[in-house]
Amino acid sequence: MTTTERAVSPVPEQSPSEHVPGGRDIWFFVLFESLAFTAYFCVYLFNRTQHEQVFLLGQSHLLLWLGVLETIVLLTSSWAVASCVQHARAGRYDASKREALLTAGFGALFLVLKVIEWVRLIHAGHTFTSSEFFQYFFFLTVIHCIHLLIGFVVLGVLWYQLSDQKRRSQPTVEICATYWHSVDFFWVLIFALLYVVR
Amino acid sequence: MVENGFNKRIFVAWLILVAISLVYLWIDHSATHQGIPTASTVVTVVAICFALIKVRIIMREFMEVRGAPRFLRRLTDYWVVLMAIALFGVYFVGIAVA
Repeated sequence: MTTTERAVSPVPEQSPSEHVPGGRDIWFFVLFESLAFTAYFCVYLFNRTQHEQVFLLGQSHLLLWLGVLETIVLLTSSWAVASCVQHARAGRYDASKREALLTAGFGALFLVLKVIEWVRLIHAGHTFTSSEFFQYFFFLTVIHCIHLLIGFVVLGVLWYQLSDQKRRSQPTVEICATYWHSVDFFWVLIFALLYVVR
Repeated sequence: MVENGFNKRIFVAWLILVAISLVYLWIDHSATHQGIPTASTVVTVVAICFALIKVRIIMREFMEVRGAPRFLRRLTDYWVVLMAIALFGVYFVGIAVA
């Protein structure tokens, strides 16, 4: 790959204020998904207020610093994919591919930290059925990780697109990045609700 | 904004997001006594507000909504407000019912 390679589908010839990043369809998906997650969060918060002590006790078994570390790792992956989009837009495809790899790397690190956390909790006797708090904890963290796993497939598509100048398409790069960012902000909400809310 | 491919603006956005994440450690400390978490409406409200601020920063800066058409800028802002109304509404109704 050389930096002189040109994209087959160039940057849209429209002013920034007319350009929807990734197109409207991915935004419909992201906003719909955020509504679905908000519904889960509402059920969790309502039940939390009804059984406050059970939830506080369950929460005391979580490691907040680990949750903060996971959040920072995922935020960093989001930063990398945002840079990936900007490099691709400027035609710097080698840098774009490097950022895509970094995104996947930080995503994988998040997954490893999450699995370590699950194993630690399960070994301590906290499972899906051990308390109402952990039922929500495992449900929300697992469903988020399913979105993360889909995100790896999306990053695979991104890599495939960036690897060959005949396949390159800036809208597809933006769609992939928008999906990955949504996985990031779902976690930001899940983290606050599971680890910090009292 | 972009010099040698490095975008300072999204770096600053990342720094702010990380800083807010670290503030959670202090917030948590303020609502934990002798290792036991204690119930606190203030902590709950602040934690959710910070999370929603982070979501908006991610949308505006990382997802490039800042330079998007007006309808998307407004729609995403309304969406954050909608999530806030839903979360706080359910939380305070839950407290009232309990």
